[in-house]
Amino acid sequence: MSAGEGDAGTTGGRSAGTTGGSGALLGPDEFRRIADGALSLKGADDVEVLLIHEWGGLTRFAKSEIHQSIAREDTELRVRVAKAGHIGVAASNDATPEGAAAAARSALEMAGVVAADPMWPGLAPPAGAPEVDRFFDATAASSPEMRADAVAELIGRCAPGCTAAGAFETTAAELGLANSEGQLCWAPSTQASLTTVVTGPDGGSGFAEVFAGSTEAIDAGAVGTSASDKAVASASPRALDAGAYTVVLEPAATATLVGFLAWVGFGGRAYIEDRSCFSGKQGAQVAAPSISIWDDGADLRTLGAPFDFEGTPAQRVDLVTDGVFRDVVFDRRTAKEAGRDSTGHGLPSPNPEGPFPLHLFMDTGDATVDEMIRSTERGLLVTRFHYSNVVNPMESSITGMTRDGTFLIEKGEVVGPVRNFRFTQSILGALSSVSMVGREAHLASEFFFSASRVPALKVDEFHFSGVSDH
Amino acid sequence: MGPREASVFDVAKMAVEAARRAGAELADARAGIDETESLTVRNQEMEGIDRSHSTGVGIRVLVGGRWGFASTSRLDEAEVERTAGLAVAMAKAAQRLPGEAVELTPVEPATASWRTIVKEDPFTVPLEEKVALLMQASSRMQDAPGLSFAEAGLDFFRRSTWFVSSDGAEIEQVVTNSGGGIEAVAVGDGDMQRRSYPNSFRGHVKAAGYEHIRTLGLIEEAERIGSEAVALLSAPECPSEVTTLVLDSGQMELQIHESIGHPIELDRVLGMEEAYAGSSWLSPGDGGKVRYASDLVSITADATLAGGLGTFGFDDEGVPAQRVPIIVDGMFENFLSSRETAGVVGQNSNATSRADGWSHLPLIRMTNISIEPREGTLAEIIGDTDDGIFMTTNSSWSIDDKRINFQFGCEQARRIEGGKLTTLYKNPNYTGITPEFWGSCDAVGGAEDWVVWGTPNCGKGQPGQVGRVGHGASPARFRNVQVGVRG
Repeated sequence: MSAGEGDAGTTGGRSAGTTGGSGALLGPDEFRRIADGALSLKGADDVEVLLIHEWGGLTRFAKSEIHQSIAREDTELRVRVAKAGHIGVAASNDATPEGAAAAARSALEMAGVVAADPMWPGLAPPAGAPEVDRFFDATAASSPEMRADAVAELIGRCAPGCTAAGAFETTAAELGLANSEGQLCWAPSTQASLTTVVTGPDGGSGFAEVFAGSTEAIDAGAVGTSASDKAVASASPRALDAGAYTVVLEPAATATLVGFLAWVGFGGRAYIEDRSCFSGKQGAQVAAPSISIWDDGADLRTLGAPFDFEGTPAQRVDLVTDGVFRDVVFDRRTAKEAGRDSTGHGLPSPNPEGPFPLHLFMDTGDATVDEMIRSTERGLLVTRFHYSNVVNPMESSITGMTRDGTFLIEKGEVVGPVRNFRFTQSILGALSSVSMVGREAHLASEFFFSASRVPALKVDEFHFSGVSDH
Repeated sequence: MGPREASVFDVAKMAVEAARRAGAELADARAGIDETESLTVRNQEMEGIDRSHSTGVGIRVLVGGRWGFASTSRLDEAEVERTAGLAVAMAKAAQRLPGEAVELTPVEPATASWRTIVKEDPFTVPLEEKVALLMQASSRMQDAPGLSFAEAGLDFFRRSTWFVSSDGAEIEQVVTNSGGGIEAVAVGDGDMQRRSYPNSFRGHVKAAGYEHIRTLGLIEEAERIGSEAVALLSAPECPSEVTTLVLDSGQMELQIHESIGHPIELDRVLGMEEAYAGSSWLSPGDGGKVRYASDLVSITADATLAGGLGTFGFDDEGVPAQRVPIIVDGMFENFLSSRETAGVVGQNSNATSRADGWSHLPLIRMTNISIEPREGTLAEIIGDTDDGIFMTTNSSWSIDDKRINFQFGCEQARRIEGGKLTTLYKNPNYTGITPEFWGSCDAVGGAEDWVVWGTPNCGKGQPGQVGRVGHGASPARFRNVQVGVRG
């Protein structure tokens, strides 16, 4: 649900239950009442109030026992004030009109001592955001008993000698943005994720996850079976030499490439400052023709709100189409600098990093993972990467480790597990070497970034620079 | 302190009493206030100035041998009562699966008050003075011809915590951190190079007041940093070879953090973080048996170290701060532990259980994990090296789930030839295997170049928590290291 000016929606006040979390939606009317405490500030040209209210529960398990069972609730009011281009920002978790007013006064005080921002674009004008309903009552009301029972089901699917670790998290949130230009938008959403690493005898380890907007999408037993099968299959891994291999990347591994490509390339600020790996490459072939990547916060298959943290409605931005670099994302400030319009990708202010795509998609192809394996003479099947980081942003080069299920493929078959590798690889180099794209896309998380919806990939040449001992 | 925060100690007491009424066998509560202020200037324009303020209470309970935790930002009596009941419900739900009951090592309940020694409250220093410092530092960096971006920032943090336990502990603590740094970025011909001072990723953060900022020399060092960033654009790539590696104190900070600090966390060793950040190459029985490093390397966890971000009076279980030997002359001795985990290795908690504020469950976190200084300055170590590479200031890090295979990038490097620094290199990096790398250490600098650094952004746990930890580090030398890793 979302609402533009004068259309505040009707979903406010929905309860999230009593045992699954602490919260209930404030709703657009109550948000507006709170925001008015700041919007009535005297002495400012522009005032913007951002509300982030989130609550939820987390059931964490290790060694097949629940060791952390958590419920949390918090609210952030972030008030940005501008006076003749002088900007100040203050945040508080006192979600009352008085709390908003106090934050606004603090922001105005800060604005009074800083130099004007010559690129201040002003606040977002009134505009309706796309109508998407990403709030699921049952997910918001998830109980710790439900999560515990799901974890028990997952653990029950583990093979003898295996144990499971992981987390089942359910969260509900509402994002609101009101400003003195008259923009008012509000959207509730929910998320559910079940992630596990199953470990078995002789160094076996398997990973599986489901990341969705609703608990309805989570089949705990299937998650347990998938991870357990991998743990059994990856026991007693053999050591292989580092070097260039053909790889079949499962969606979780693809998500690492896409997430880091966004970090080093898709932000408008780095692009216009010639710091992006895409700077100067508009219209150039940067990946295989089978690769298309876009961001679309209004697509129901992703998570979050259909507007950004400045109140600009989310737009679909085609970033790479058929392997050709097309565009980057903008917030209001970078859009002004570039002579463009904001694409609805602003982050909470102040934001020195600039805009960022939080709802990434990679287009699907027509292959199954089995077909990718069958077509591989010698290569590696990679379940996921771990703790990756940038080596050279201008070359889109990153490093990281494989983890929780890495297997050798020979003559079209998976022949056994191998020890984990360190890779050092240009992302665009890997995407240029893609020969097959999976027919199914999955919402996959990445250690540092939001989840993206991506398929499996077959990459003909991928560089591993070292090996670990497990 | 406003009226909303005036009674936070009472809120913590109320929470513990409510939890006991709801059925908790043991309960503790942390009512807290977090305050931050951050300023960033780039090319003499204000990039951002913001303050934040967060108040709430977190309630931890033990019911039937299982933990439950709940937190809320609303501090009225009914909400605190409801949140306490929620914590108990969380613990009871955990009992739906079989498992071993949590057993806590003992602690003497304390009634105490502790605060960071602060000579100059950073939150009362006028904003105008802070902005002027950053503008001047940015301007001075821009004196370097060819520089693209000159960024300067200040960050201030204060956490006030009121801890109350059903055992009778009542502890008030106020932790204050101050940090600042500058960063110069040069862009040209499809390349980007960066230099930072005193360290990368927002500079040098200490448990101190604004007096720390006045010692940093941000303006004095600005032009040098700007010139170094520009010079890197025309420098050759760091060659790929196996060689002798000398690291400065700033890079040693992160080398210690990632390849020693995390694998010695006992919750990781016991598999409690397995599915997210990972586990450890160490096993619970390794204390006193495993050679971790050469005999020049001794590592200490010291929560009493002046200026360290991991310095406090009591951890978030009410256990008093301690100084613990971790590695002694290369031999691994002790893990970082909590009341829940210490019993596994036959010890009491060494006070490392800390939470990212009132809204999070405490986890084992590094305190100040420091290498003990030996002898010699950085210049003397370099002077004693015939051939090798000297790397400065971290730019990137990556390490596997057991903390064995790592790779670090640095901002700049120089060749060492005949004891002298010669050719400048850009994009340097190195890789290694933890015990092999530390085993190859044959020089650790002395107290002259030993610096207490802060790492205010250590991620761990689910939901993600940010830990503020410290590292005392000297420059050091390592033999037979692979540098210049390429894809």
